Amino acid sequence: MSNPKHDKGEHYLTTPKAEPFLERLIFNNRAIILIAFFFLTLFLGYNAVKIEPDASFERMIPLEHPYIVNMLEHRDDLENLGNFVRIAVEVEEGDIFTAEYMETLKQITDEVFYLNGVDRSGLKSLWTSNVRWVEVTEQGFQGGTVIPDGYDGSRASLEQLRQNVLRSNEVGRLISDNFRSTIVYAPLYENNPETGEPLDYGEFSRQLEEKIRDKYEAQNPSIEIHIVGFAKKVGDLIEGIGSIAWFAGITIILTTLLLFGYSRCITGTLVPVFTSIIAVFLQLGTLRLLGYGLDPYSVLVPFLVFAIGISHGVQIVNAMAVEAAKGFDSVTAARLAFRALYIPGMLALISDAFGFLTLFFIEIDVIRDLAVAAGIGVAFVILTNLVLHVLIMSYLGISKGGVRHVQNHGEKQDRKWRVMSYFAHPGVAPISLLIAVIGLGLGLYYKQGLKVGDLDQGAPELRADSRYNKDNAYIINNYSTSADVLVVMVKTEEEQCTQYNVLRAMDNLQWELQNTPGVQSSASLADVSKIVTKALNEGNWKWYEISRNQTIINASIREAPAGLINTNCDLTPVLVFLEDHKAETLETVTERVEEFASNNNNDEYTFMLAAGNAGVEAATNDVISNAKNMMLIFVYGVVASLCLLTFRSIRAVLCILIPLGLTSILAEAIMAMSGIGIKVATLPVIALGVGIGVDYGIYIYSKLEKFLLEGKTLQEAYFETLRSTGKAVIFTGVTLGIGVVTWIFSPIKFQADMGLLLFFMFIWNMVGSIWLLPALARFLLRPDRMVAKARANK
Amino acid sequence: MATRLMCKTLGAACLGLSMALSAPTVFALADIIETPSRPTTLAPAHLLNDVDTAGDRIVAAGVRGHIIFSDDGGETWVQGEVPVSVTLTGVDFGTEQHGWAVGHSGVVLHSDDAGENWDLQLTGVRAAELAIESRQEQIDDMEQKLEEAPEEEKDELDWALGDLYFSLENLQADLEIGPVNPFLDVWFENDKHGFVVGAYGMFLRTTDGGKTWKDWAPKLENPSSFHLNSIGRITGGGLVIVGEAGQIFVSVDGGESWEKRESPYEGSLFGAIGTGNVNEILAFGLRGNIFFSSDLGRSWKVVPSESDATLNDGTVSEDGRITLVGNGGAVLMSTNGGDTFRPYFRDDREGVMDVVPVSGTNLLIVGEGGVKHTDARGKNLQ
Repeated sequence: MSNPKHDKGEHYLTTPKAEPFLERLIFNNRAIILIAFFFLTLFLGYNAVKIEPDASFERMIPLEHPYIVNMLEHRDDLENLGNFVRIAVEVEEGDIFTAEYMETLKQITDEVFYLNGVDRSGLKSLWTSNVRWVEVTEQGFQGGTVIPDGYDGSRASLEQLRQNVLRSNEVGRLISDNFRSTIVYAPLYENNPETGEPLDYGEFSRQLEEKIRDKYEAQNPSIEIHIVGFAKKVGDLIEGIGSIAWFAGITIILTTLLLFGYSRCITGTLVPVFTSIIAVFLQLGTLRLLGYGLDPYSVLVPFLVFAIGISHGVQIVNAMAVEAAKGFDSVTAARLAFRALYIPGMLALISDAFGFLTLFFIEIDVIRDLAVAAGIGVAFVILTNLVLHVLIMSYLGISKGGVRHVQNHGEKQDRKWRVMSYFAHPGVAPISLLIAVIGLGLGLYYKQGLKVGDLDQGAPELRADSRYNKDNAYIINNYSTSADVLVVMVKTEEEQCTQYNVLRAMDNLQWELQNTPGVQSSASLADVSKIVTKALNEGNWKWYEISRNQTIINASIREAPAGLINTNCDLTPVLVFLEDHKAETLETVTERVEEFASNNNNDEYTFMLAAGNAGVEAATNDVISNAKNMMLIFVYGVVASLCLLTFRSIRAVLCILIPLGLTSILAEAIMAMSGIGIKVATLPVIALGVGIGVDYGIYIYSKLEKFLLEGKTLQEAYFETLRSTGKAVIFTGVTLGIGVVTWIFSPIKFQADMGLLLFFMFIWNMVGSIWLLPALARFLLRPDRMVAKARANK
Repeated sequence: MATRLMCKTLGAACLGLSMALSAPTVFALADIIETPSRPTTLAPAHLLNDVDTAGDRIVAAGVRGHIIFSDDGGETWVQGEVPVSVTLTGVDFGTEQHGWAVGHSGVVLHSDDAGENWDLQLTGVRAAELAIESRQEQIDDMEQKLEEAPEEEKDELDWALGDLYFSLENLQADLEIGPVNPFLDVWFENDKHGFVVGAYGMFLRTTDGGKTWKDWAPKLENPSSFHLNSIGRITGGGLVIVGEAGQIFVSVDGGESWEKRESPYEGSLFGAIGTGNVNEILAFGLRGNIFFSSDLGRSWKVVPSESDATLNDGTVSEDGRITLVGNGGAVLMSTNGGDTFRPYFRDDREGVMDVVPVSGTNLLIVGEGGVKHTDARGKNLQ
């Protein structure tokens, strides 16, 4: 009882009686520590600025899933199946058979040819010599390039071009069905064959915009250019990461204003903002030193770090203002604030970190990276918030205005708190519970529609109305093609991949799949063999069949597209084009393939899943659905254990966790209703929401318990709780909400989804702890016994 | 005990179930001539090679053993039960009830219920054995002849014998692989008498509704074993076979004997139809070539077509219009008995394999994209 004044407002568990060793260590070396922080910030800040955007494909997929293991094992054999861009050049009026259009197309083809990263031998457009028309004649075949010899843009040569196009078999592939656009198809090198450097997707995508889209749309106003392909999508994602800087700016400004409104003290506003930004720099710098880049997921962590830094910083400012109001000088006020807060602060932050740890259950690197980044961030928040922040404040002190604000404001607000304390009233509490039960029922009802996976058309990472997805929709509507491809790999002995039995089995599987709902079409060596066998028999469709004669098969696939046979001829893919990438579709199709594989795999051939974007998504969905329940159990288990450890009461745990559970269920209902699936981006939200959200409950409950133990009635105790900590809790919820709410405007769809859900969870968890927790306490807590028990323990 | 009891009552269904349960996890897929065609709703939208009528019923055959029929002029389709999954190339009904379908792996299928159920009458193995026996007999005859022939004819006979040996060796080599070669068309006069033609000069005849077959290839003068693409009857009763490299054979005695006609064309002919006038033939094929004969193929004239799309088959409507169909969405119409044709190219540019007239002047076409309803010019009906 060395400092009775101070002891009054604090929890018995978390308030040490005398100045602890840490406090002495820190406050006796203030200047040294500040200088150390200065250099650390300089060093890590320098690294933070140099951190690079990184949208590595491999980190976004579940590397340990058997589908992905298969895919990566055979990635060299499957190369170039997926990595290409298609540039559709659309003419806005008339058709493509004009001299002007063909000239623009020629220039675009040339320009693409010289783009870094393009596999020039595979480049295809009307202007490349590998696009030909072929015709059966009495003597055999005749053919030529689609662009007629001696093309001069004249009416006659354009008419000849039209004829060639019609017999080229490229309508629907390179030429749209309505003859209003054609495609420049450019396969890409994953690694530059000369330098071995990996393709810079960001740079490649920028070049497509500058050198192709902007340049030629400006040069020929009657055309419009649509670009799709993995490289373009990744490029757009990387660009999307860049726009995050704007959100960061807006978040900082909003938070600063809010903080000033709260503290009415310039130093009490700027210092927490400053130290929280430093925490972000330290986190980013450390990430870079550890070899991480900023992927579209981990780019969001700095926002969380900033928000957590602010919301805990507020506690320091608040505590200092309270002490300063009692007349202490700034150093003493800072010491007292530190003494009061370092244990609860650390506890709260460590429980946040435990929440992040549960993300390790998801076997996807970006999510684990997210956990690492968030963990590092929280560690730095402990340092900047509890050390740097306190030390700076010990020099600067709280302004008089801030102190006055604390003194006046508390009294003015009492009436508000009085009203809110009725949440614990025996008449109001049952109504609250009833509302909660109704909310729970509604939540459970709507949550039934919750789906695993991405639900939207096109590239799910980007918004439906993004440029990329519009381009994608254009190409899907005008060409015979699907964006969702599942690749089944067929493994054979060396040089056996073209055997009759292998082709026949693939053909069987394909027909099985085409008769499966959700499958649009399929393609494999079997189709090539059939179509070429037909062509070799004078184009007569009656020969459209896989020949039993191996010599004929071999002749038929001699010119098979690269990617359908690997070098050793021991692997050949079946491409399955799907109508969409909804989880049910993927599940039905992969189940069908697995059934086929287990029934038919033999010495000659093995059917394996899976590659292609749909294969990756199927694997991801699988991992997500398996991880979901594990993660929920674990995160709630961890939070429950922490609460139990702190408060030693099951009833307390229930008071804190029931509002959280309600929020989780309502969040899932919101997901179901707004068409957000459980996916890589939204699963972590549950862990983050619960891990961070529990803080409010802990703050509220710890105060409530303290006042109850002092012998107050429940409502009175709750009034005191609100008076002392209600404002900080509301402020924390709002700050965290603001920290993530700007993401809703991100061009990257999953960031927007994460923003929406986290915003909801942060705000609603706060509401739950203030409104529902006291109502639960009315039914669950027995103040008499608590007092008796506390006395017995003493 | 319970299981056995249930099995007794449920019979076949239970047998199937217990077989499925006890099936080994690893087994090779059955050969496609032993695999029944999978019931599917997709059949009307996939490649169909031929179409014929059985009374008011329309029956079409195509890939994966698909045989579909329609009783409402092609509005709705039902899939027949077919015991094989090969690509079928031809279908023909000798009566309203009795029909035959042919296809790859040398299959001949028969239905006696207007196309609802089909049974396998012949496979390429048996067809090849028949051809080999028959070639063997021809060789024996030829060797006999060679011995008795005067010296000046021996050279020519030697050549013929060489051709026969060559043909025999090819047949034997193919048979070692299996039933490799397809039949390409079928024609039946009634429920007993009919012919099938196919690759490498395959030509068989039955007079007992397909129970037994006889190799009829020796009746054709086809020493190079050219593919025989089509067989059919023209107005007046003449039978016409056309094939690879301009082959044209005509029979005026119901198929007992066949005469080779001098061809106006060196390329492949894919079809020959009558025009509605006695003894007139329209033969057509590669690159849009059309030839007209008014004397059972003894003389031919070229018909201008304004199109170089390969033509596959054709039909004559009740009002005398002649429609030919072909690759690249080609639909050619003649309203003057085949003197001239006007082409139309369908928007989808998909190959059209055959055509039948339906209500009014409308047509039903089958081909690469399955079955489509069109107007008289070949434009899709809405």
